[in-house]
Amino acid sequence: MNTLDALLLISLLTALASGLGQGHRLIGWITALLFSLQFVAIMVMGSLGYGGAVVEASISLSIFGHPVSWRFDGLSWFFALITIGAALASSIFAAGSWAEDYRKHGGKPGLLQFAIALNVFTMLLLLASGDLLTLFIGWELASWSSLLLMMVAGGKAKNFALRYIVYATGGAMAVLAGLGIIFQLTGSFAYADLAAIAPSLSTLQIVSLSILFVFGFGIKLGLMPFHLWQADAYAETPGPGAAFLGAISSRMALFAIAVVLVQLIGLVKLINIEIPFTFLSFRDLLLWVAALTIIFTTFTALRQNDARRLLAWHGIGQGGYMLIGILLLDPLGSAGGLMHIFNYATYQAALFLAVSAVIYRTKTADLNQLGGLVTRMPLTFLVMLIGIIGLAGIPPMNGFVSKWLIYRSLIVEGMPLLFIATVIGTLGTILSVYKLIHNTFLGQLRLEHEQIREVPWSMLLPMLVLSTVVFVTGFMPGLVLDWVVAAQAALGIPQVAHHLGGIESAHGSLDMIWISGVLFSGFGIGALLFYSGNKTKHVHQLDNYAGGHFLTADTRYHYTNNFYAGLMHYIGSWYRNSFQWLESSLVSVVSLLSGFTQILFHSFHPALFLLITATLSLYFFAG
Amino acid sequence: MNETFLTITEVIMMPIVAFIIGLFMVLMMRKLAARIQRRIGPGVFQPLYDIVKLYGKQTQISHGLIHDIGIIMAVGGYVAAVTLLPVPGMNGIADKGGIITLTYLLMVPSLGLALGVGQCANPNGSIGISRALTSMLAYDIPFIIVIFGVATHFSSTSLVSIIAAQQVGGFGTWGISEMPLLALAGLFALHASLGKHPFEIYVAPAEIATGPMVEMGGKFLGGLFVMQSFQLYAASVLYVSLFLGGGENWVTFLLKCFAVLIIPFAIAYLFPRYRTEDLVRLMWKWPVMLALLGIAFVMN
Amino acid sequence: MNSIAFNVALPLLTAFLLPIISSSSKPAARFIGPFVLFAMLGFALVYFNTLQHPVAIALGGFLPPLGISFHLDSLSLLMASIIPLMMLLLWPYANKQGYREESLLLLLAGGASGLVLSGDLFNIYVFFELISVASFGLAAANRSAAAFAATFRYLVISGLGTVLALTGIGLIYTQTGTLNLAHIGLLASQLDNPIGLSAFALIVIGIGVKAEIFPVNGWVPEVYSAASPRISALLAGLISKLAVLVIIRLLVVAYQGSDAYIILLVLGILGIIWGELSAWRSKDLKRMFAYSSIGQLGMVLVAFSIPGDAGMVAGIAMMLHHLVVKPGLFMLTEKWNGPISKLGGAAKSSPLAAILFVFFALSLIGVPPLPGFWAKLLLVIGLIQASSPLYLTALAVLLTATVIETHYLMKTAIKIYSKGKKKQVKKWQQTSFNLSVISVFALIMLAVVFTLTPLANKLNHIAAESSDRVLYINTTLSASQPPLSQPLSQQMGKVQ
Repeated sequence: MNTLDALLLISLLTALASGLGQGHRLIGWITALLFSLQFVAIMVMGSLGYGGAVVEASISLSIFGHPVSWRFDGLSWFFALITIGAALASSIFAAGSWAEDYRKHGGKPGLLQFAIALNVFTMLLLLASGDLLTLFIGWELASWSSLLLMMVAGGKAKNFALRYIVYATGGAMAVLAGLGIIFQLTGSFAYADLAAIAPSLSTLQIVSLSILFVFGFGIKLGLMPFHLWQADAYAETPGPGAAFLGAISSRMALFAIAVVLVQLIGLVKLINIEIPFTFLSFRDLLLWVAALTIIFTTFTALRQNDARRLLAWHGIGQGGYMLIGILLLDPLGSAGGLMHIFNYATYQAALFLAVSAVIYRTKTADLNQLGGLVTRMPLTFLVMLIGIIGLAGIPPMNGFVSKWLIYRSLIVEGMPLLFIATVIGTLGTILSVYKLIHNTFLGQLRLEHEQIREVPWSMLLPMLVLSTVVFVTGFMPGLVLDWVVAAQAALGIPQVAHHLGGIESAHGSLDMIWISGVLFSGFGIGALLFYSGNKTKHVHQLDNYAGGHFLTADTRYHYTNNFYAGLMHYIGSWYRNSFQWLESSLVSVVSLLSGFTQILFHSFHPALFLLITATLSLYFFAG
Repeated sequence: MNETFLTITEVIMMPIVAFIIGLFMVLMMRKLAARIQRRIGPGVFQPLYDIVKLYGKQTQISHGLIHDIGIIMAVGGYVAAVTLLPVPGMNGIADKGGIITLTYLLMVPSLGLALGVGQCANPNGSIGISRALTSMLAYDIPFIIVIFGVATHFSSTSLVSIIAAQQVGGFGTWGISEMPLLALAGLFALHASLGKHPFEIYVAPAEIATGPMVEMGGKFLGGLFVMQSFQLYAASVLYVSLFLGGGENWVTFLLKCFAVLIIPFAIAYLFPRYRTEDLVRLMWKWPVMLALLGIAFVMN
Repeated sequence: MNSIAFNVALPLLTAFLLPIISSSSKPAARFIGPFVLFAMLGFALVYFNTLQHPVAIALGGFLPPLGISFHLDSLSLLMASIIPLMMLLLWPYANKQGYREESLLLLLAGGASGLVLSGDLFNIYVFFELISVASFGLAAANRSAAAFAATFRYLVISGLGTVLALTGIGLIYTQTGTLNLAHIGLLASQLDNPIGLSAFALIVIGIGVKAEIFPVNGWVPEVYSAASPRISALLAGLISKLAVLVIIRLLVVAYQGSDAYIILLVLGILGIIWGELSAWRSKDLKRMFAYSSIGQLGMVLVAFSIPGDAGMVAGIAMMLHHLVVKPGLFMLTEKWNGPISKLGGAAKSSPLAAILFVFFALSLIGVPPLPGFWAKLLLVIGLIQASSPLYLTALAVLLTATVIETHYLMKTAIKIYSKGKKKQVKKWQQTSFNLSVISVFALIMLAVVFTLTPLANKLNHIAAESSDRVLYINTTLSASQPPLSQPLSQQMGKVQ
């Protein structure tokens, strides 16, 4: 029994324990404990993150003559670390007071823990896949366990989960078709066989395989035009579950795309395939799909009035950055894409947990019904502040570093329009995250929130740890870049040269240690200047100017609704809900067709069909 | 070790220099406005006096810790950002982070201000921030295209090497003569980023009672004044570094920096204010078109 | 070897004797049915396990092509074991009065065993008629007005189908002069013409009425929703597969490599589209399963229409999977009947049943590592290997249908797990007997998951054997040595 066996076994045990002991009061803590064991196990395998040798699982089977096996390499380890980390944080958050409260309101915290544990186990199976068959099995298992997690909340969430699983099955079927094609070409599901024939694939084969895999896996990522399901489904999942889903679940798509398209088929060939009558190569097309995903979803997020939905929509957009990075294939871009997965997971989990903490205290995530909470929940505010700086990609948090790598790579590759698209996405993100923190924590404190206190430590701890990670890996990105390089090596793409502070290059380098250091010294000077001024007097929030009115506590004057009124006045009419329309018209078409088929069954005597078919088939053969 | 020590010295020196130059830029702005309005205008040290006075005022109203931190971030962010802008003889930490880093670092002070204003719980302030962020979305798009063009042209994102490349052949190798379209688009973006007329939508005293500044008094407003001098400095030095060959020596450098600002200042006092959506429409139309055309030339 | 004939004779005899036994001793009448079925199961399993290679048996000593000949290979013996097993699982143990249903079921068991074992077309036809008659009786067994109406519909279309099938058989006879399948196989070249193919088409359509083949399955939703769930389970699970088996036998032996595959493929594709779309729209659980069963049979047909071993493996896998899943699902409708929209609270009153529903649904959709996934995987690989535009169309249809299937099955699952009215919740409680029967189906599937590797080998073996035309012909004809040995060697050259 080696470390990988142990990891998978503990993971299975976690799922079983949380599944069987659902009703128990302490199950949350037990699950969290088991998750920390998993975390220890992944740490024991740490050498993989620094280029260590591949670890093979002891179990291997042969089904229908196809050998199946599981193993871990640098890429798997990188994803597994994020997965288990996110699960651990969510599980601790959901274990203590949150669970009590959730149970009191009719929820099932044990089921939530079970769903998370099951997700982790299936994801680890996916990450450990050693051939295309196990990859697909892991993929499907992970997809269906996400369904369970999305359904935990019940009620409305079930409908969103249903929508998810229909999209996900569509994707899985595309992948299955792709696997079928590969099997037809190689006669096996082994990675090595696919890699061996990859150089001899024809253009048509490469294009059809890429389309099947990128969109098949990409549905999980919320790639346009299959992005509609994600935000609702994630947002309606109970807080810690949403944090886990948002942080890592949909990133499994990137793992699969990286393995199949980058590692095995070799993406380089896509660059050479021109699309007729355009200036675009086939890879450009995929890049543009990712870029449009960034822009559309980010600006959809800007319009959300529910904190969870706002974050969930951003999650889709951030996936676009990662895909662009990986598709860029150069050392900088792919490092940026991979690193963004880690960075994003840390701050997205922190943000979802912070929003859950707000919901825990206020029972609402409606951005028009909050405000002023900073005085009541300062630490949660701090977590959210660090999180949004990361999400917006502003120094000194880690989100900036990975985005910088992607920008830099787009400049080096000479892709102006894509560069602009990614920056537009970032700018939109800045606008929308400010709205998030402003509407929640700043401005007027509502009367009913006067008595609110900070959330308990069991909830604060994971949030604070996550924000520390966001900060530390922003200060010293080299910590993560080491792992990213191991993942790049596993994928067989050139590795980025880096040091603890960032990137060293003749054409523009980045040293976050210096930049953060100088920034914080700057803050120090700012503080020095500030406190050298005369002594301040703190006044009550109602004691201000507010357009010349005298304010009272029951007057609501927090400026929240339609926060970017001026901008929306201009771009508001650009939101056309075309994709919603597309989706509903597709459903209508199916509905129409099925009505037609049912009419055929109902309105005519079956004997008529029998005669018609007999005649037709006789005509076919004899006529 | 010696190198690190030198860098630290530069990092300490550069904000001081920037602040002083920035004060003179504020002075120039106010003098120019006065001349256009046929007034005499303030004395040489008036900008400094204003700041000192505000810091020393008796009434210092704070709306909470975030209000204070917001101002600290706003000033501190600029203090840090200017060390990324090379001046003659001093590169600071410009080789540790190029123009992309600078662009995003310049958002830190805005974010700080936004947080501070938000804490004040004044709707006018919030509206102001909403407008300020909208205008940032508007002018940053042409600006970022310009950045891309320049970085591609010099195949570097390091300001040090961009400046070095421009200084090779005098005026002929300056960004402005090699990339005139980008330079023009950049000027648009520069003007809008200063938030002066006609792009003054987020201050708009008559509409939202000076927006972000509405709850600011005493050293809070003083902090904003400090921020303004840094802002003027940063914008002009960035433009000079990208298009005007940076500073060969302090004389030409200062000349260029002040010259760059004269254009927006001169225009600013001649125009009324745009509406928010008109600003967005304008910035996304002409400067973007110019800049795109510009990079089309650069990339060929 | 001849003792396998008991599998046919014993149930038929018991079926006819049951009224007499019943009049003398009621308990004996209740026990004799299961006893006979157990005996059949035992026989079939012993044969299935001991059989090394296919064997042909001439009953009563008459050699083919004159006598009744049985063809025993792994596939037929597998089906012969499944028949009593299914009957045992779906036996009306609770039925205390009357012997009518028991008698019909035994008739069905005998006829079905005869059908799968038979080696010539005429006997197949006779046994098929026997099954039909029994199934009419069973469909109307619950004596509701709706059941009678539906059964009448079923009867009419079945009758017409029989006429067509008989015409087809007649045409084959005119072409080849024999009805023994092996002989027909030997003379297959004479069937590769418009008349021969027309004969195949007529048989497919005629027999296809039972196999729920696309346009001749109008009776399916009516009968399944009106008959009792046990009978629907039996019809959908077992009888449809018997009809498919006849078609495959004919296809493998006499029409390999001909256009006959195309017609199966086209009918299969249309069946998938029609079945799944209608199921998507249906508001009633039984009807939904009925339509879905049409779609699944479409997939089975598509699988069998793939030439070669790949198609045979996929087809048998799909067929066996459906044979286990659908009865399980239909049994759930014992209590969970009526509109789907009112099923709220069902999971609360019968948690185990709800879990079983989800389990079956997942397997039907093809979620790994459940059996349905492996069947679907085989089918997908087979379709891609066939790699002609029509097969790729079938693949696209199959994959799209899976998405639609996911939607309606999961929609139902969600409904089952949602809150319901207090009054109705009690109504959804499944009986414990019913639950244990359904659990057996689920356990079978779980067992499949855990013994996948040996089962896959076995399946490959069965498929290879049953898609081997030469083997089929040789098996039968080596049993009938002299008359045809001379032409055989000449013909074999052509065959190979």
